[in-house]
Amino acid sequence: MARQTTSLRTYALTRLVLVIPMVLILLTLVFFLMRVAPGDPVSAALGGRLSPQALAERRHAAGYDKPILVQYVNYLGDVARGDFGHTITDNRPVTEVIVENGAATFELTTAAMMVAVVVGIVLGLIAGRLRDTPVDVGIRLFGIVIYAVPPFFLGFLAQLFFGQKLGWLPTSGRASPETQFLLSIHTHFFLIDSLIDGDWAAFKDCFLHLILPATTLGLIISGVLIRLVRVNVLQTLKGDYIEAARARGLGERSVVVRHAFKNALVPVVTVLGLQVALLLSGAVLTETTFNWPGIGFELVRYLNNRDYIAVQGIITFFALVVVVVSVLIDFVNAWIDPRVRY
Amino acid sequence: MRPKLTGARRFVAVAATIALAAACGGGSGSDNGGGSSGGTANLSDATIIMGTTDTAVHFDPGDAYDLHSWNVIYNVYDELMTIPPGGNQPVPSLAQSCAWDDPKTYTCHLRKGVKFSNGSPLTSEDVAYSFQRSIEINGDQGVCSLFSSLADCGKWTGNEISTPDDLTVTFNLRQPDATWPFILTTGGAAIVPSDLYPETKLQPDDQVVGSGRYKLVKYQPGVQAVLERNDNYWGEPAKNARVLIQYYKDSPALKLAIQGGDVDIAFRNLTPTDIDSLKTASGVNIVEGQGIEIRYLVFNTKLDPGKDKAVRRAIAYTIDRQSIVDNVYNGTVQPLYSMIPAGLIGHTDAYKDEYGAAPNPDAAKQELAGMTTPIPIEMWWTPSHYGDGSADEYTEIKRQLDGSGLFKVTLKSEEWDQYTVDKAKDAFPSFQLGWFPDYPDADDYSAYFYPDGGFWNGHYDNPAIDKAISEEKATTDQQKRVDAFAKIQKLAAADAPTVPVWQGKQIAAVRDGVTGVEETFDPAYIFRFWLINKS
Repeated sequence: MARQTTSLRTYALTRLVLVIPMVLILLTLVFFLMRVAPGDPVSAALGGRLSPQALAERRHAAGYDKPILVQYVNYLGDVARGDFGHTITDNRPVTEVIVENGAATFELTTAAMMVAVVVGIVLGLIAGRLRDTPVDVGIRLFGIVIYAVPPFFLGFLAQLFFGQKLGWLPTSGRASPETQFLLSIHTHFFLIDSLIDGDWAAFKDCFLHLILPATTLGLIISGVLIRLVRVNVLQTLKGDYIEAARARGLGERSVVVRHAFKNALVPVVTVLGLQVALLLSGAVLTETTFNWPGIGFELVRYLNNRDYIAVQGIITFFALVVVVVSVLIDFVNAWIDPRVRY
Repeated sequence: MRPKLTGARRFVAVAATIALAAACGGGSGSDNGGGSSGGTANLSDATIIMGTTDTAVHFDPGDAYDLHSWNVIYNVYDELMTIPPGGNQPVPSLAQSCAWDDPKTYTCHLRKGVKFSNGSPLTSEDVAYSFQRSIEINGDQGVCSLFSSLADCGKWTGNEISTPDDLTVTFNLRQPDATWPFILTTGGAAIVPSDLYPETKLQPDDQVVGSGRYKLVKYQPGVQAVLERNDNYWGEPAKNARVLIQYYKDSPALKLAIQGGDVDIAFRNLTPTDIDSLKTASGVNIVEGQGIEIRYLVFNTKLDPGKDKAVRRAIAYTIDRQSIVDNVYNGTVQPLYSMIPAGLIGHTDAYKDEYGAAPNPDAAKQELAGMTTPIPIEMWWTPSHYGDGSADEYTEIKRQLDGSGLFKVTLKSEEWDQYTVDKAKDAFPSFQLGWFPDYPDADDYSAYFYPDGGFWNGHYDNPAIDKAISEEKATTDQQKRVDAFAKIQKLAAADAPTVPVWQGKQIAAVRDGVTGVEETFDPAYIFRFWLINKS
């Protein structure tokens, strides 16, 4: 046991150390990819509007006339200090964009992940248990189709049906305009802020606004989980210990629910972490479809305005989030499975 | 896209028109009353929610030069002069009176007791400061170019404005400028508190303070802006207590919002299809008003084929405006037969007089007699600045021109930021442009279009037109200005350096029970939130 603990500690430390080159490679890629296009962010955004002299002054103030390696080192230093610069479009600190709009994205992706887990795991378990039945076929078909459907298309359908035709649910925004105005902001998470205020009407309004976008994004992720859980259930049910349990006279329900299902879910943890990248990219499309003011929504807005400073800052943040989540997932895997070691 | 003024000489004698308007003591609008706070008879606690797909750039008039930013500025700040609802001439607003001392000196006397929404008094020092900082900031949006008669952008000398006392402001113009009273009505001329706004940089958008009917109490870019009634306002207060401006990414989201009742008003930019659909939606009414934004086709007269007048005229004979209006825009715009839109004093249908209301293929063929046809034309448009209809509009223009057998059009497009750079570098033989007015006067559609090749750098040069522009600027005689504008339009139509295509209407979708939107739709393009109420 002590040997296992030391080994886990070594693994964790090694994994942490490996984060450094991973982050460096990511930041370098982001930096140079943003500079593949001719010109620089200031010229791209303002070149049509400023005189050559004014443009040169702005480029100098932003440091874009310095040698590329100097710019790169400055960029790394800024990121280390948490300074992602100021947007050209509206002169906001990119950090402020990340905090304010990041909370909206986190709220959406958390809710979407919950939907994905519930729908994906439940349907995957059922499909695995009822292998080769019409139920299994139907669930597998659903998983493939839902994963293939573009998020914006599914979102439009949801808006048209639940919003326009039935009038059950709101179709855009995080809350109604009045709620958005009246809600006191404590954490930037509207559900939590409304609970802090004890404002149940606001909580209900925010919750209703969350349903369609979270369900849209969550269903798409669930497609991956359905297939994964099903395959794991089938493999687990073939295991020797399952046969042994049956041979000992345990009821089928007990065998399946208490033994097989639990073991089938272990690899799902890894996959869930890997879905973070998919969630973030899906959030861009979902937020745009539902007018959800998250980071993805802002990213599209800044892209349209050719505000490459903002775009670079947001993409850097996305990359760092994916790195952090993948490291956490690796820790959890190593903790669950002693075979995961360096 | 706004030009820098170059070479336009502006001369004004006594401004009879302006003096007449000033003598009316505030103009025709009841909301520009004589200086005391208005009564509360029509006040309500209503909150008006307006949805829009427009985005703001800045709420600091020091560098705001787009329609939506100005719409908020008109409601949060005050200007010395204003265009009253339904009017098209400037009348005093923050100023009690304004008049020319001589052709280059314009003096305004401020109202007494005016305060900013934070309670600090508004004096002549604030007026002078507002113009000075706009020139010194010399921002990216280029609004300081509006004040070129006062000073060049970035070059304030200190002699431009005199403030002999707290209530008197004298503008010492560099040259006579008949349109100066109009310029004082624009959003760029809004007055800011000198003790709060920094001199050489912009005030944060969520901390703006003005003396207008509203105060901006909340702003989240891309999400929401909230205006609340300013109880310190000197004049007739706003009819509603609060305005929530909700920003939407695109027109489908905005359409769903107005249908579902999430917003009371949907204004800019519903597509023609959305508008058609909303006409039959329950609880929604479509309100239309006169608009003077225009769209037109420009020829670079240094490049083939636009350098040949016969080709330009043949295209003018061939374009079917009514087809574009009906098939692309579903009647939400109207055909335009002049670069000066209908609704402005001096407008004539010069292109209709010259080329007819409908296409004339025989006349087009005659223009091109002796030339090898079809003539290849490279035509550029931009998808990201003039609305969703641009693609269909230029596809339709191509269809019309190709269908005549006389032309072979190749369509190309670029995003707006690159488009503005390339059109100025003579990269486009012919291209799409549009124009929103700074102020509702025909001069705004002439002085920027023709002298020195126009702001779009089309290289068209017509000394007779330049002379007519000088004539209309040199007089306050209405008939002489009308005659000069008629001459400008006739000459321009004959040469066709541009082909006007359509003129927009102002259109909003409004929920039942909401009133006042129709009152604010006029050529001034000031969306007056203060007129709107709901039951």
